Amino acid sequence: MSREVSTKISPVETIESLAKEAEQLKIKLEDERQKLNDVTLATVADRLEIINYMNVKPRRTLKGHQAKVLCSDWSPDKRHIVSSSQDGKMIIWDAFTTNKEHAVTMPTTWVMACAYAPSGNLVACGGLDNKVTVYPLSLDEDVTLKKKTVGTHTSYTSCCTFPNSDQQILTGSGDSTCALWDVESGQLLQSFHGHAADVMSIDLAPSEIGNTFVSGSCDKMVYIWDMRTGQCVQSFEGHESDVNSVKFHPSGDAVATGSDDATCRLFDLRADREVAVYSKESIIFGVNAVDFSVSGRLLFAGYNDYTVNVWDTLKCVRVCLLYGHENRVSCLQVSPDGTALSTGSWDCTLRVWA
Amino acid sequence: ALNLANQLCQYGYFFPVSDTKNLTVKDDSSLYRFQSPYYWPWQNRPPDNVEYAIYLAKRTLRNKQRHGLEDYELEALGNLRKNLANKWDFITMQAEEQVKLAKVLKKGDKIVSDSQERAYWRVHRPPPGMVSSLEQCPVPTRCRNGSRVRKRTIEDCKREVELLKNSLLRTRVKVSQALESMVQHVETYAEYDPLIVNTQPSNPWVSEDITYWQLNSPLVEIPTEKRVRRWALSMEELVSDPTGIQEFTNYLRKEYSHENIRFWMAVNDLRRSSQSQIQRKVSEIFEEFLAPGAPCEINIDGKTMEKVHQEMKSPSRFTFDAAQEHVYTLLLKKDCYPRFVRSEHYKSLLAAGIQPSQKKRFFGFGPTKKKASTSSAPNPSLLQQQAPQGTMVSCGGALAKRRGSDRSLSGSAHELAIAGVRDTRVPHSHSQSNLSDIPYRAEVNDEYGGTDPESACRVKKPSVAVVASVSTSEDVCPWESAPEPRSRKNSSQLDSCSSSSDISAAVTEVSDRFRRTCGITQQNTLDGDRRGQSSRKLSTASFVEQRRASVSVPIRHTDIRPAVSSFEESSPAIVTAPVSPAVASDTDNKTEEFTSTKTFKKSSSLTKTCSVTGANAPIISVSSVTDDTVTDPNEQKEEDEPEASCSQPLAPLAEPDAESPGSEIPPEPEPSPDPEAKSNDVCPWEDEETCKVDAPFVKTYATLGYL
Repeated sequence: MSREVSTKISPVETIESLAKEAEQLKIKLEDERQKLNDVTLATVADRLEIINYMNVKPRRTLKGHQAKVLCSDWSPDKRHIVSSSQDGKMIIWDAFTTNKEHAVTMPTTWVMACAYAPSGNLVACGGLDNKVTVYPLSLDEDVTLKKKTVGTHTSYTSCCTFPNSDQQILTGSGDSTCALWDVESGQLLQSFHGHAADVMSIDLAPSEIGNTFVSGSCDKMVYIWDMRTGQCVQSFEGHESDVNSVKFHPSGDAVATGSDDATCRLFDLRADREVAVYSKESIIFGVNAVDFSVSGRLLFAGYNDYTVNVWDTLKCVRVCLLYGHENRVSCLQVSPDGTALSTGSWDCTLRVWA
Repeated sequence: ALNLANQLCQYGYFFPVSDTKNLTVKDDSSLYRFQSPYYWPWQNRPPDNVEYAIYLAKRTLRNKQRHGLEDYELEALGNLRKNLANKWDFITMQAEEQVKLAKVLKKGDKIVSDSQERAYWRVHRPPPGMVSSLEQCPVPTRCRNGSRVRKRTIEDCKREVELLKNSLLRTRVKVSQALESMVQHVETYAEYDPLIVNTQPSNPWVSEDITYWQLNSPLVEIPTEKRVRRWALSMEELVSDPTGIQEFTNYLRKEYSHENIRFWMAVNDLRRSSQSQIQRKVSEIFEEFLAPGAPCEINIDGKTMEKVHQEMKSPSRFTFDAAQEHVYTLLLKKDCYPRFVRSEHYKSLLAAGIQPSQKKRFFGFGPTKKKASTSSAPNPSLLQQQAPQGTMVSCGGALAKRRGSDRSLSGSAHELAIAGVRDTRVPHSHSQSNLSDIPYRAEVNDEYGGTDPESACRVKKPSVAVVASVSTSEDVCPWESAPEPRSRKNSSQLDSCSSSSDISAAVTEVSDRFRRTCGITQQNTLDGDRRGQSSRKLSTASFVEQRRASVSVPIRHTDIRPAVSSFEESSPAIVTAPVSPAVASDTDNKTEEFTSTKTFKKSSSLTKTCSVTGANAPIISVSSVTDDTVTDPNEQKEEDEPEASCSQPLAPLAEPDAESPGSEIPPEPEPSPDPEAKSNDVCPWEDEETCKVDAPFVKTYATLGYL
């Protein structure tokens, strides 16, 4: 709704008329969606057994960052983690042994995004420098020697990921766009316009051949994009505040979101609507990160109140609460094979839970 | 509660009275004071620097002792004075004013308000190194309150309208339908979710044991049974697993229709290539798969072909999307994939699949123990075990160490050799057991104790073990025909171990040992009844053994060289390559085994081999064996190349190589087993292989007992 308000303020005549049209279309769309809304997720999931026992405990603590951990990503080898921090450092950990294998100092603080390439030989990161930079990993030499700036946004880089390839990087930025870059040449392959505010998070569709990704933004919207055409193919609204995190369901047919409005939501792509809200009266802090377990049954969500809540996605109830961090949980990710969960926090540590 | 209190404290709702440095709540009787509501964070916007400057200036005006500034505060004051130079007069005035006001207050109030103020600033201007929960993200455009939606342009609006129109036209399914399928998906995959069900054998993060990762590394020769089952869930599952795609391609290759999957993979690769390579790759793909008379022409309909030709005019990473889609949905997904899942190939994979859990159940102590040692520190543990076993052993250990862990076997071979030289019974057993570690010995004993199950299992084995055994007995020639399924598995077993071994050298060593023991424990497996569900490695181990048997036949007959080369000829493709080294290693194993025929150990792992030897014994002469082994390395080297070209087998190379040097030496002890073997009747053994009769096994046993 806020988007409408803002458009009405703008002086140009055509914008107003277009906004009006959009408004009407939205109402129609809502009607259409409502027609097919015949059942709730909780009722469908009624036949399932409740998960009442979760033996998830902290297994590793990775200490070494000097400031808030802002982002982390698992290596495809299932045991390494790359993490970036507010102090401008990026550290590559062997999480299994808790050893640090590389520490890279970035020219800026607030390295808000980092990602491992599918080959495991490359990491990318970016932040307030508005750039995305790749570092080939090698044990012999200083990794900063071979660093390469791939893309530049007009605002900070909030998130980045490799779309099933070492040759491309997909980034989301504070300039409210997402962009696909060619690593080798630094060429902009595709840009994605549509969000009205900072893009906070992106996630690729799980399918190998999938050409879509999802983005969440401070305009409270969630968009699904076609990487090939650069067009938005689907949009979801419902959140009442910034969408901080988005994640595809492992089936590829739904996305989960976490927002500053203290809720997580599930949007189904085929039903084209919100199908679940994960919230509790006692949970009043914003969500910074969400991720699914490999089956999609569990949704892990990291909150500003230092906790990780584990939701049963189908029954829409909280399964358990993981407490251990001493400050906000800023990032969270389930390992590629689903054996563990990593969390990063403003308390300067990362933890691995299993 | 502590957490909550800590948060409240850090957000500045209350603060410790005595401790002016920290903002944490401790669970003791220290006192805390509530912040005055005026300073609560939600009351006011983040404070600006002017206020901070006033506060600092105020403190400079007062009693140095009580209100002295910290270093960082002094620094901040200096900076502020520079930055706010134009306002500095105002700031000092304000500060003086406030100090005057403060003097009016009663002393108690003064202390309270001072401390409150101080705590407030400690929250909002924390000393360096302290994390502030209230610190704003310094991101320019991301301001907290409103005005964050940027001005919209006509394009934005048009885009939105367009999007909304499109989404109106979108076909959507009923919520119930969508949800039902989601629930089903989750139900299907629940068993593959390590955070919901327990992983087998164990979750590495919990047990510190990385076997799970070794078994499930991206490319393995023998995937776990669970993994194979997962391939049947959907085509996507299959093609997202490198091993899956490999098996699928192998299967299609046998059907001469693998061009489809290859095309599909090539297009996938194209889509993700870097920009500079697009042109080249497009034309390559076209030449290989689509051009008329192309070497691997794929079969697509005219319409799609036309599309491709059109796209070819402006090659891009998406040029072949239509064709790929066609191949994927129509040919691969609707045709090849279902056939694959129903095929014998798939079924045999499934049957051969490793089942980590079962193994545990059957042989709780042996393998598990070994794994434990793997996870922690394999080398030390190994050495430790070796230590008490006398000089010879330690020497062997040293050897193993020196040669690098991936060659541990070679080290062990040396040990063996040494042992052989000494030619005393006890050392033999020691060195042997030492090789394969204590658990292994335990198994052996165990095994030895129970001959019955063993023989029983024997009977079962042939039935399970693909075609293998039949050919074995017959002679050299059948070998050629037989190898495919069997050898594959065998070699793959080696591979799987070794592939997992890249993870770390140490691991390699262990896995080698592991493989060994596998071979050894094979009987255990067997007695565990491995009909339908072969248990984990053990099943493969059994294959190995079988291979061993089969291999040994030709080898013993003449000498290795012809034999090996015949392998090469017989199966020139991928399959062969790994086989032959495996074979070689087998021989080595055998020789080693020979050395130790007298010991328990032999009895366990070797029962089979032993029997084989028994059969062949008459033909073998010690010298021939030596020859074999000597030639071995060469042969293996020759095979290196083919191997390299095939999927994995680099690691296995190391193994046979490592072993062979050892095997050169063993002849000395060998004679002793030989005669014994001879004493064993040849014919019954052959019987055993072909007819799968109990009796010969018993016979073998008798031999063993005799030994």
